[in-house]
Amino acid sequence: MSETSRRNFMAAAGAGAAATTAVALSAGSAQARPAVLGTKGVAEPVVALIEDHRSGIVRLLVGEREVVVNDRDLVARILNAAGGK
Amino acid sequence: MSSHREAPEIAKDPVADGTDVYAFMHPTEEGQVVIIANFIPLQQPNGGPNFYEFADDVLYEIHVSNTNKCEKNVTYRFNFRTEVKGNSFLYNNGVIESIDSPSFLRPQTYDVARVMNSGKRNQTAEQINGRFKVPPVNVGPRSTPNYPALANSAITTVGGRKFFAGQRSDAFYVDLGSIFDLGTLRPFQNLHLLPMAAMDGINAVQSYNCHTIAIQVPVSDLVKGGNPSQSPKDRKNTIGVWATASRRKARIFNEKAAKYKGAGPVQQVSRLGNPLVNEVLIPMGQKDRWNSSPINEDSDYAGSVTQPELQSLLPFLYPGVFPNLAAYTKPRADLAAILLTGIPRGIIPGFQNYTGPVQADMLRLNTAIKPTPKDSDSYSIYGVVGGDLGGFPNGRRIEDDVVGIELRAVAGVTIPLVDPSYEPDGAAALLKDGTTNTNEPLLDEFPFLGHPGGGFQTVPGTTTSEDPKK
Repeated sequence: MSETSRRNFMAAAGAGAAATTAVALSAGSAQARPAVLGTKGVAEPVVALIEDHRSGIVRLLVGEREVVVNDRDLVARILNAAGGK
Repeated sequence: MSSHREAPEIAKDPVADGTDVYAFMHPTEEGQVVIIANFIPLQQPNGGPNFYEFADDVLYEIHVSNTNKCEKNVTYRFNFRTEVKGNSFLYNNGVIESIDSPSFLRPQTYDVARVMNSGKRNQTAEQINGRFKVPPVNVGPRSTPNYPALANSAITTVGGRKFFAGQRSDAFYVDLGSIFDLGTLRPFQNLHLLPMAAMDGINAVQSYNCHTIAIQVPVSDLVKGGNPSQSPKDRKNTIGVWATASRRKARIFNEKAAKYKGAGPVQQVSRLGNPLVNEVLIPMGQKDRWNSSPINEDSDYAGSVTQPELQSLLPFLYPGVFPNLAAYTKPRADLAAILLTGIPRGIIPGFQNYTGPVQADMLRLNTAIKPTPKDSDSYSIYGVVGGDLGGFPNGRRIEDDVVGIELRAVAGVTIPLVDPSYEPDGAAALLKDGTTNTNEPLLDEFPFLGHPGGGFQTVPGTTTSEDPKK
């Protein structure tokens, strides 16, 4: 199971797209290697925001923080999931 | 209006919409500064059962800059919390005889923090002791009898600082109906491109309430180093004041709680310093970005101040009335000084409120200039333009006719301050929208704004679609 599947994940994906899609990534739609929730992982709602699908940047809004993650693979998986793949 | 519904995005979010900021020296208590920030515009007093209230998910802040960088050196931060009592459909199920009344079913409280250097590495915060109470809105004589006493019980003094947060009568007055009907000023509409008979202005804000956050603090709380001097020439005595409202960056509707929940850091969605800047000077397409940007990036908008659209509209809308203004093509350094940097020494005898070259929209209050008594000959609701150094743009008093002052300034009366060769048009010094404050009377004491109009007592206004020329 991917790391993301353990969280209540909302994705607003696409370049400037207004639509917001609720995404629950399953093991089958993610990479083969399972991820586990680490000790630094959060157990609260997280909002993922991808404003530019080409940038590889996903902004994670959690609590009162904004965590900027530069991970093309993660962005691709979220975008694929948002597209239903 | 000053800043009521002034930008497309914030017009959809009234609880975060800052409408007016006032900053002035207390008229009778020496060395005390009063700052008032109003939010939630155009409240009909009878708007129940869900009467107007501060939002739990909005961060309200009053900021003061006391250096030449126009940064948040001192911030008062207000967080509200709303409680729902009982299982009634009503705001109150009996007489609210006191602020702690069990009949008050939707009480609000708030906490206050005093933050130094907000957002910077050297930020420090001091939580003001106590959880303060917001009075109920003025529902009517049965629900909230003796409203003044009820509201006054919510004034809290902690460590020499006074706080009040609650509903007030909006003191801003302006003729919205005429101004936004192609720039009409009713007293002069006989001279308009599309003329009608001249008449007095109509105060569009009459009978509306707002929600106010007011503080009264010693000058030493606000000036750099906490050590003000008595000299108006001393630059450290001038403070910059503005207010903001911020929301969490994301809002998600939580189905289980049936409420929106926030996520991420707070993002400023509304700001206000000088009246009418975002309303009248900033183009529609930039207003939302202006609201979310820091004040010390206002050089991005300086062109809208130094070449205001309204300046070119006046000669067009009032043909032949403003020939000198029509011919004036230089950038308006006078407006930049009044609104973006403060007025340097040497321009107006005995006055300066310059904060340095950083362009930023904030009220600039020279705290060393004594307040002008209302019964003094030098008192003028036209402030510095009227020869009264105690009024706008030296901070802003509640009574100041900022619509008249800014109309006259844009029409050219302040150009000679920086360009003595310019002769203002005769009409410029007469401009006004013809309104007066016809809302509830102001108070002589903190929090100064009048008590809010009551729901029961409110009589709806009139409207018509008829053409007044027929």
